[in-house]
Order: sequence, then C-alpha cells, then structure tokens
Amino acid sequence: MEKITRREIFKGLFPRVEVALAGGEETRQPRWTMVIDLAKCIGCDTCTVSCKAENRTPPGVTYNVVLTEEKGNLPNVMVINTPRPCMQCDRPPCAQVCPVRATYKMANGITAIDYDRCIGCRYCITACPYGARSFDFGDSYEAEMLGYEAIQAPEYGVQRGKRQGQKAPKGTTRKCHFCFHRLQRGEEPACVETCLGDARYFGDLNDPGSVVSKLAKSPRAFHLKEEMGTHPRVIYLK
Amino acid sequence: MLEKALIKENNKKFWNWILFLLVLSAVGFGSYLWQLNQGLTVTGMSRDVSWGLYIGQFTFFVGVAASAVMLVLPYYLHNVKEFGRITVIGEFLAVASVLMCMMFIIVDMGMPMRVVNMFLYPTPNSPMFWDAMVLTGYLLLNIFIGWNVLEAESKGVHPPKWVKVLIYISIPWAVSIHTVTAFLYAGLPGRHYWLTALIAPKFLASAFATGPALLILICFILKKFANFDAGKKAIQKLALIVTYSMSITIFMVVVEFFTAFFSQVPAHMHALQYLFAGVHGHNGFVPFMWVFVILSVLALVLLIPRKTRENDKTLIIACAAVFFSMMIEKGLSFVIGGLAVTPFGRITEYTPRLPEILIIIGIWAIGTLIASLFYKVVVSVKRETDVTSKNFKSQETLEHS
Repeated sequence: MEKITRREIFKGLFPRVEVALAGGEETRQPRWTMVIDLAKCIGCDTCTVSCKAENRTPPGVTYNVVLTEEKGNLPNVMVINTPRPCMQCDRPPCAQVCPVRATYKMANGITAIDYDRCIGCRYCITACPYGARSFDFGDSYEAEMLGYEAIQAPEYGVQRGKRQGQKAPKGTTRKCHFCFHRLQRGEEPACVETCLGDARYFGDLNDPGSVVSKLAKSPRAFHLKEEMGTHPRVIYLK
Repeated sequence: MLEKALIKENNKKFWNWILFLLVLSAVGFGSYLWQLNQGLTVTGMSRDVSWGLYIGQFTFFVGVAASAVMLVLPYYLHNVKEFGRITVIGEFLAVASVLMCMMFIIVDMGMPMRVVNMFLYPTPNSPMFWDAMVLTGYLLLNIFIGWNVLEAESKGVHPPKWVKVLIYISIPWAVSIHTVTAFLYAGLPGRHYWLTALIAPKFLASAFATGPALLILICFILKKFANFDAGKKAIQKLALIVTYSMSITIFMVVVEFFTAFFSQVPAHMHALQYLFAGVHGHNGFVPFMWVFVILSVLALVLLIPRKTRENDKTLIIACAAVFFSMMIEKGLSFVIGGLAVTPFGRITEYTPRLPEILIIIGIWAIGTLIASLFYKVVVSVKRETDVTSKNFKSQETLEHS
C-alpha cells in the first residue's frame, strides 16, 4: 500500500465530510456533537458492543461504556445508566498534557490521536477526568474469534492492515473518535445508529436547524463533570 | 584517575559485587526484552491503573536525585566544611538516580522506539516535556560538576571557575526537577488525591529526607567496605537535615487528612480511605500503608532525640526506616493509590507481575552498578589526597619541631 501522510489525509477529508453531512455548504466546518437522552437509555450495552465491533478494539480497550449507578435502598432502588463515549472536550486535558502533540483538537470538534506519533506514555489517560481513554496493551481476541487479526478498523480514515502489522496502534493510547471514518462516508457513529432506545442523537451544532442544536437548548441538557471546565461536546439530557 | 581506581587497584570483593549486579541487570534486561516482545500486557497495569510501579519508582528516584542539593547548598553557599568530603558522593548519587529515572520512563513507554518524538515535537504545555528537559539538564550538570571537581582534587588543584557557575545553577535546578515531577500530577482534573498544591512541597521535603538518609547509609557502607570515613560531623549534619525534612514530610502527609475528612467531600476522602482502611473490600494497600505509618513513627522517634540520633546503630535503623517508609509513600501508594480510584469513584486494584518486578530489580542493579563504579573512583581519589595531606602535615610538624 502506498504511504499517505497525515496532512494528505485531512486535506482530502474535510471537504468530503462537509459535503456528506452539512448539506451543501462546502466552506462551513461542522461542529460534531452527540446528545444522549438518559431517560431513554435502557442500559442494554448495545452501544458498547457495536462500538467494539465497528472499531475492532482489542481486549481492555473500550471506546464506549455504560456506567451504572445504583441509588436508594431496597426496595426502592433505582439504577441510573450513563453511556460514556469520549466527551470530545473543547478544552481537553488530554491534549494539554501530551508531550508530543499526538493528541489534538480537529477543526470539526473531534479530539484526535495520531497513532503514528503517540509514544505510549499514558499521561493522557491519567489526565482524562472521564476515564475515556484506554491503552492498547497489545492483547488480541484471536483465540476466541477467528480472523480478528486479519484487519483493523480504518480509524481516522487510515487503513491499518493486520493487527500483527507495523501500522497497528499497539502500545499507544486509543479512544472514541465519533467514528470519524463513518462520518467520512456520511454515516452516523455506530453507537448512534444501533441504539435500541433511540437515546442518542448526532449532528452539527453549527447548524441551528439540526436536532442536536435544538436539544442542546433543552432545560434537561447538562454535561458530565461541568465543574472541571473541560467544555464537553457530548450533551446529556436528564 | 579512572584507570588507577578501576584497573590498578585490585579488589576481588569489589569485582564480585559488580559481577553480582551485572547478573541482576542481565535478568532485568531479559525481562525487558520479553516485555518489548509481548507489549505492556505482561505488566499488572490496566486501563484504569495505567501507571504502575515504574512511574512510582521514577517519582521516588527523582527525589533521590534532587536531594544532592542538600549537600551542595550547605557546602557551597554556607561554607559547611564538613560536607567537603562527601559532596561529590551526593552528586554521583544524583547521576545514578537520574539515569534510573530515565530507564523507568523508557520501560514504561508503550512505544519506546519513538522516544525521540519528545525532542522532535517539543510541547511546552506538557509537564512531561519539561520533566524530560530538566532531568536531562540535571544529569549533564551533575556529570560535569562531579567529574571536574573530582579530577581537580586528584590533581591537587582547585576546580576551574566555570564549574562553580554550574554548581550555583545546579542548586535551583535540583529543586526544579522535583517540582516539575510534582506538576505531572498536581494539575490533573478528576484525580482528587493529586489535585493539591501541597504535592510539590511534600515531594521536596520527602526527597530531602530520603536522599540524605540514603547518603548516610552509603557513608556507613563505604566506611565498612571501602575504608572511607565521611567523618562523624558530616554524618551528624546530614542526620539533622533528615530529621527536619522527615518531620515536615509527615506533617504534610497528616494535614491532607484534615482537609479531606473535615470537609467530608467524598472524592477527597476516597483515596485516603482506600489506602489506609480499604473501600468495598478493596484493601490491597492497607498493610503497606500501616508499615509506612510504623516506619515513619519509628524514624521520627529515633531521629528527634539527640541520644539516638548521635548513636551510629540507631541512626542506621532510623535512616533505613526513612528510606523504606518514603519508598512506600512516594514510590508505591502515591501514584497507584491516586489512579486506583477511578474518575467515577470506582476502585481498580493493581498487582505488579513478575516481569515488572524483575525489570525494576534490573534497573536498581544498573543504578547501583553506576554508583558503585563512581564511588570506587571517588574513594581511591580521596584516599590518595588523604595520604598526601597527611604526609604534608607530618612534614610540617617535623619542620616546626
């Protein structure tokens, strides 16, 4: 396969994404935002599973989890489910601490990781107040799943070949990227598409007419750990 | 002076010691090759506890490295003559510790072959970038200073003037390495155990207790095995430094409890509860923390009264207690305890695995090896100057009489 530099990838990428999802206006950058309606979440973990399948993440690496919290005493117990993808913060503590600038904000609001630059120091994992980052320890599902190592997800639109290959992001930090490779194709992130309760919405916050823009103004809207000042890009509805 | 110390002076005991350390380093290196091949999955680290013993040890040895300033500062700024004999020992201890720190960082990295990225893409907003910078600088400073001072001494002349300038630079630089290391932790949102401005001062205080305590132990070892006497006065001065620094450190450990438990903010109490009492059946750290408490109380009880501080035997016990209690507090519980409580308040426990421990033993062996070789040179130079000054003195007295 011929080598593509990161610059070339993003130069080629942005216009296509805009055309695909912003609806014609080619000059405008989308601000990708996810809204998660907690009242509609049934805690089925479909998002977690579909994310693992889409991104073919190895054992120990989960981009999306559903946090459960029990409240109250028996017999009046309530379980609160909080699905947690990467918050794609506008002031990301992970990007602030990276010693090699391998993690950075893209213009469309997604916090990206350059797997080819990351040195695997895991400082960003310690810095993330949401526990959204995982380290690829190099494990594999090959023993349980035939052909797991045959191909890897084309994260950020980069073909990474076999899990055993040179371009595998082993020994680096990984995290949710709003399924950027799906956005390129004009598709929603896997967790949004597969959500059973339709609890997830995805769209462009720069577009005042989009569903996410409207939901963002809801009195039910809040962010996780707002007091940290991270300005997350994932909005929750109480 | 190198060839004289290492080749001409034949010492079988010393070379057996070096051979023993070489074997240990080889074991560590073999384990590291295994880790390189398999990935960090051979360690006990996980998604939640993503920094383990490696980074804990790194933090601890940055402290040991910084503590050389506790000899350099009194000797060069306050003219404490007693330290003249051992300042260079402190500097070489710093060199060995910084090298160990660098090795701990390398073995902790998932992509060690990309380590040059640190310098290719300098990132001033990352404390880790600054840590790499100040540690490299400190290493170079101490190698230059230590070597030049020693070489001058072996030739019986004063060290060149520019060395003095480097020495003055090295004093604030030593403070900076541990401050920047504290800033690695102290500015992270969501890590409540670390989110306190007290970390940098606590690190410095505990470093100034641990380093001099280790130096006292080294002086006693050199006295026993290498026939090198640091002098009772120098050791007592160091012991006083250990006493004050240890007291301040323990004070800072205790005040954290007040803030956490008087405020009753759950996130602030969580890590302390986990470490000292255990939470929801997770109590892997509790025995270690109580050993830490016992050792630090023992250290203070032996250090504060003058009688036990001035007794060599009790002083050795006290110094070992300081070293190991701080090894637990800083090298073990600080990093791992801070991470074991996840940002959402759950507990993930961490148990180091065999390859990890072997690698750490290997790095310890390499550090001890470097220090031993340096000290061999130091001791041979000092012995020679001792002999010449003694001859000179006896000649003087002869002439006078």
